[in-house]
Amino acid sequence: MKRNQKEGLKSKFIEVLDLPKDVVLDLPRVTVTGKIGVFIENHKGIIEYASEKVCINTSIGILVIRGEGLFIKYVLADEIFVEGKVKAVEFEE
Amino acid sequence: MLVIKLWNCLRGYVIIKIVGQYGERLINQAAFHGIYLWDIKRHEENILLAKVSVRGFFRLRSLARKTRCRIYVLQKRGLYFSLNRLKRRKVLSLGIIFFVAAIYMLSSIVWSVEVNTQNETLKNSVIRDLERWGLKPGIFKYKLDKKYFLDKILLNYKNVSWAEIEIRGSRVIVELVEREMPPEVEEDTPCNIVASKDGIVEEVLLLRGEAVVKPGDTVSKGDMLISGSVSLAGGDGEEEKLLVRAKGIVKARVWYKESVEVPLVESVKSYTGRVKKAYKFRVGNREIYLQLGDVNFSNYVEEDLKVRYIIPPAFGNVTFNPVLYREVKEEKRFLGVEGASQEASQRLAEKLKDFPGDVQIVQKKMEFTLNPEKQVVVGTLTVEVIEDIGIEKEIE
Repeated sequence: MKRNQKEGLKSKFIEVLDLPKDVVLDLPRVTVTGKIGVFIENHKGIIEYASEKVCINTSIGILVIRGEGLFIKYVLADEIFVEGKVKAVEFEE
Repeated sequence: MLVIKLWNCLRGYVIIKIVGQYGERLINQAAFHGIYLWDIKRHEENILLAKVSVRGFFRLRSLARKTRCRIYVLQKRGLYFSLNRLKRRKVLSLGIIFFVAAIYMLSSIVWSVEVNTQNETLKNSVIRDLERWGLKPGIFKYKLDKKYFLDKILLNYKNVSWAEIEIRGSRVIVELVEREMPPEVEEDTPCNIVASKDGIVEEVLLLRGEAVVKPGDTVSKGDMLISGSVSLAGGDGEEEKLLVRAKGIVKARVWYKESVEVPLVESVKSYTGRVKKAYKFRVGNREIYLQLGDVNFSNYVEEDLKVRYIIPPAFGNVTFNPVLYREVKEEKRFLGVEGASQEASQRLAEKLKDFPGDVQIVQKKMEFTLNPEKQVVVGTLTVEVIEDIGIEKEIE
């Protein structure tokens, strides 16, 4: 309850000051390039990797990318670039 | 990203196989520790393929132990490994070094000397002299002292007003500009004025010397018009001669005759615009033609384009040049007597234009006659002009 209150206050504060939310709230930034690639910034690690399904941990839950022939173009401490035929990008709570 | 890729190609990278149930964990750990992994692919159930830099690979090994994965190197790639491989192949690397050195050596040698000027004799003598002074095919171009050779040329050839040496690749190009030399005869050399053509003297304008001819005289080529030796009437009857440079204008009536022949049936050759290209190699006296297909023109003219020497002319006569075959169409035109005479008069009129502008044309006459034997019309042009016929000639 208290935590929720705190979060709400924070997001209001950000709204008033018009700050970029992804930076302040530590949210992941997901960029989908057509059907051929997904670029994730601010991730928390790879949970599962297969050529049909890639699960990536983020601060707000698990990001699941489904597709065919997926492969990880590169991994850095806070960036992942997944390439392949992307079919779905969804968040699992 | 391109920069990183290039860097990795230079430093070398390895393709690794990660075997283990928690391959993802190893990837996470690697990312967390700042090891750059790329092109990660799932190969089989428990096997991941990835690329990692050489330095990253060694750090990855300790991480793999923690995450209970095994790493195998599949391939080594990049310049670093290629060089390593080359180290073992000594003869190959020696060959590469030798090749580069040979190219460098050969390109630093002057292979040909060209002289660009209009005058052929000047060109040949300059080439010969440059060879004598040391500028010839085979010398190193870095040792070439341009100023030395330019000074030599300008000092030895008085009729060269400007010279430039340019090194273009392995060719040395000498550009020369020739100077119009003033006439050889000096102002104080005694001279006669003689006739350069046959004619009838019309007018004598004497400036210096003694006139030998008077208006109305007929002179032939080589006759003296104005004498350079002036006789001084001495007091005691003795004649004294003074040699001077004769000067004057002697105008004379001169006849010129020009004739042209125009055939009654004229064949006109014209290019159709269709061309075919071939290449000609010449080794010594043998010629080899290289071409695609046959030349299927009934009439054609062969034209040699620019000749290139494959090896310098000093070492042998091996040349190469493109050859152009131009198709030629031959048309017969029936002019008839009337048409042929018209053509002839046109050609004669053109010749009339070639006369120098300073002559005065007194009379001109055109005649046309038919020569039935040769089937031609002969046009004859007779021009009567008045011009200065005097030229200077030194007194021996």
